[in-house]
Amino acid sequence: MLKNYLKTEWRNLKKNKVYSFINIGGLAIGMTVAMIIGLWVWDELSFDKFHKNYDHIAQVWQFVKFDVEKSSYNSLPIPLAAELRNKYPEFKEVSVTTYNRNVVLTSGDKKLSRTGMYTESDFPKMMTPKMIFGTYSGLAGIHSIMISESLAKALFASESPIDKIIRLDNKADVKVTGVYKDFPGNSSFKDVFFLASWQLFTSMDGYAKFASDQWDENSFQIFAQLKEGIDVKKTSAKIKDIRMKMNYPPPYKPEFFLHPMNRWHLYGDFKNGVNIGGLIKLVRLFGFAGIFILLLACINFMNLSTARSEKRAREVGIRKTLGSARSQLIRQFFSESLLVSCIALLLCLIIAELLLPFFNNIADKNMVILWTNPFFWLIAIAFCLLAGLIAGSYPALYLSSFQPVKVLKGSFKAGRFAALPRKVLLVFQFSISVALIIGTIVVFRQIYYAKDRSIGYDYNGLIEMSMNTPDLHKHYDAIRTDLLNTGVVAEVSESRGSIVFDYGGTTGISWKGKSPDMYPLLMSNEITFDYGKTIGWKILEGRDFSKKFATDSAAMILNQSAMQLMGFKNPLNEIVRYGGKDYRIIGIVDNMIKGSPFEAVKPSFFTINYSAANVINIKLSSQTATGIALNKIEDVFKKYNPASPFEYKFVDEQYAAKFDHEERIGRLAGFFAILAILISCLGLFGLTSFVAEQRTKEIGIRKVLGANVLNVWQLLSKEFLLLVFISLLVASPVAWYFMNGWLENYEYRIELSLWIFGVAAFSVLLITLLTVSFHTIKAATANPVKSLRYE
Amino acid sequence: MIRTANLRKIYTTDEVETTALNNVNIEIKQGEFVSIMGPSGCGKSTLLNILGLLDNPSDGELFFLDNEVAKYSERQRALLRKENIGFVFQSFNLIDELTVTENVELPLLYLGVNTADRKKKVTEALERMEIMHRANHFPQQLSGGQQQRVAVSRAIVGNPKLILADEPTGNLDSARGDEVMSILTGLNEAGTTIVMVTHSPTYAEYGNRIIHLFDGHVVTENYKEKFHV
Repeated sequence: MLKNYLKTEWRNLKKNKVYSFINIGGLAIGMTVAMIIGLWVWDELSFDKFHKNYDHIAQVWQFVKFDVEKSSYNSLPIPLAAELRNKYPEFKEVSVTTYNRNVVLTSGDKKLSRTGMYTESDFPKMMTPKMIFGTYSGLAGIHSIMISESLAKALFASESPIDKIIRLDNKADVKVTGVYKDFPGNSSFKDVFFLASWQLFTSMDGYAKFASDQWDENSFQIFAQLKEGIDVKKTSAKIKDIRMKMNYPPPYKPEFFLHPMNRWHLYGDFKNGVNIGGLIKLVRLFGFAGIFILLLACINFMNLSTARSEKRAREVGIRKTLGSARSQLIRQFFSESLLVSCIALLLCLIIAELLLPFFNNIADKNMVILWTNPFFWLIAIAFCLLAGLIAGSYPALYLSSFQPVKVLKGSFKAGRFAALPRKVLLVFQFSISVALIIGTIVVFRQIYYAKDRSIGYDYNGLIEMSMNTPDLHKHYDAIRTDLLNTGVVAEVSESRGSIVFDYGGTTGISWKGKSPDMYPLLMSNEITFDYGKTIGWKILEGRDFSKKFATDSAAMILNQSAMQLMGFKNPLNEIVRYGGKDYRIIGIVDNMIKGSPFEAVKPSFFTINYSAANVINIKLSSQTATGIALNKIEDVFKKYNPASPFEYKFVDEQYAAKFDHEERIGRLAGFFAILAILISCLGLFGLTSFVAEQRTKEIGIRKVLGANVLNVWQLLSKEFLLLVFISLLVASPVAWYFMNGWLENYEYRIELSLWIFGVAAFSVLLITLLTVSFHTIKAATANPVKSLRYE
Repeated sequence: MIRTANLRKIYTTDEVETTALNNVNIEIKQGEFVSIMGPSGCGKSTLLNILGLLDNPSDGELFFLDNEVAKYSERQRALLRKENIGFVFQSFNLIDELTVTENVELPLLYLGVNTADRKKKVTEALERMEIMHRANHFPQQLSGGQQQRVAVSRAIVGNPKLILADEPTGNLDSARGDEVMSILTGLNEAGTTIVMVTHSPTYAEYGNRIIHLFDGHVVTENYKEKFHV
């Protein structure tokens, strides 16, 4: 019997090629989207699961209260690590670490710069990288290093790396004691290419040595592994007040807490002391999008099958006359839709394989189809069955209910409301498409809005280099002179941090009129005299730092928002106390975007400090081609800093990277919107062809009575345009609600203006008209004699 | 075999109520060949559909093989239908996507006959109707007469007690029409009860009895000598 069903359907599919293409192709696209999103969700949900102690690892964070709201930081005081390790039996391991930092590694004449971390010796045991050589106790000695497989290959090629010596930042020699397989792409430590000893770091880094016993220097990370069966929340409550119970509690009232590894990736956002999710929102959103798009494709199937019902009604009649029970027909239609969904699944696997590289590019992922994973197949087949059942449900129940007497007599006419479910489904389909289009426009508008924002300095031709070897500090003046002498460089300066990021802040700052119980956080920027000229900041009041004034070592420049925070009407010559020293305000500069371009610029101040320099900023002369300029600059650096590879970053590229996340969302939304529209249009295309066919006789009569092509085209198109118009009415408020919610994540954001909805409406109506017109015009121009004679 | 008592059928559309059959009392005995005649719209096909258990009467009694079936559900009717009745239509009603063999096989599939028996019975039926050479063709590839022979094969393949034919010759030229009539006569002579609706007085004469319908009423019933049970 099943064979008979499948045979009928197979021949049906072969006979109605357009219909089959729309049905199978549409369903395959829908499935592909669902599958790709599924893989993406899987990838996101399995993030960090590589680590064997996944369920027991936590990072220590703190909430601090600078002003009204609590902010959250994972930068912590070093002594907290020992405190947790020694006084709290809940912890199995604790390790203080640096952030992942860029380090120059040299071995023989090989020089590389790679990111890695300095950690205490328990760190490898906690994070369980896959060891190729050596053990987890590789960091026991101070002069040891564990390196990743890719770094080992890059440094030593095919030679054995074990016991080889590597020089770090031209400061210290370490011996390779272990090689681990690179952390996978979906690990928080994917960019950690080496692990070196924390003791070594404190012996090399003056600040770290100083901060080792300081409870109020918050600059390092602490990771911990809890003992089996220990509750994270309870432990968090226990460690919360460690600092506040000590002497001289700081004004920012730190509250320590544990952020478990299984929430790092997806629940990374905190607002006023509460975890408010994070990436999980996007995972859910796109998960829904995937399900909806699959649903759209299923709807096509339902709509086309019922539209085709008049053609199949006769078959139902015959089968019923010959004794088929209704349940048998239901089974027949389900097996048909399952056949279609199985073919679609095969097609989907092919499309997904082809589309995945493109999608990986958009989503910045490295996903592959899990051909050998039985779980993947289980889900894929389950999805296929589900899609077949959903898609087949309506036709199965509808078609099987036909009365044989009516359909065989040829008197079968679908009732006045038979098309109603079809219309409802069509409205649903287009509502989703419209909502996605509006969403895409809003996301891109928001990105362009933030990109259009004045950034307060000039990043064109501006490059940065980190000063990671002592040579650069020692020879800075000579380097600067040589660089200026090349003629390709307009200006050179030093700073403690990059212009692209806020580097550090302080609450230890006061001024005349500051409220005594407010401890606002101000971003501190230590720079050298030529910094302003290098980056091209805009002085709004007063003057730039200048070597001509000996007093400028105690001068301070504020940005606009710091000026507003301090509330000075005439800020110049006001005194600000910071770090136990008085500074005189000599100038106000325009706000420069160093943090998120979607947020207000933080209050910041600038002081001169040559000894804090970490970054060299170089402004290229606009006269020389960049390639030539870089070659000349490289020559200078090779001369003074031979131990390091010549590495630099363009500031404009780094600034552009601030939009990566939003642009990715925008591209994904656009990708889904296009597919949703495509699937909906496929369905619409199929549906119009049936409607045009159904009404052939009517059109013939109308034409005989004098209707022209335009009249007929209007007659047929009107109905669909009306439905799409209803979708616009349905989708707009929904899209408004969600996009408004999304925009609220951003301090600096666009208003949802009407034209966005107008553009979406116009484009959808236009697409509808084009889709529908193919068949309506064909029907309208057909010779009426044919259709009438046929009857 | 079939008996009706005060049978009525009323069709109701939005505003109009049409009485298709009114007070029909007929009896069809096993082995009969009954022709039903009458002008268009007199209720011939409605009566045939009710006799064939495709439709329920609005009122009155309907006995099929001594069971009162007027109130049977669609499911119960389907069961009786597939075991006892074969249908032949004016427009053949073959399924276009299935080959001749597969079309003829269909009633057997619904009866749950096993593969080997199905094959045997289909071959027998096709041979009997002399259409075996077209077994693997699709309906569109056949002439009207051939299609009707396939339809008759399908009607007889399950060996039904009753064959209902609704204008079986309506779409055929006279030579093919005669052919179909001789096939039906042959089946009747072999013991199958046949009820046939027709417009043609000539073909109606093939029956043992002619029932004339007019506006939903039975006007006359002519018995013929040929009746021999």
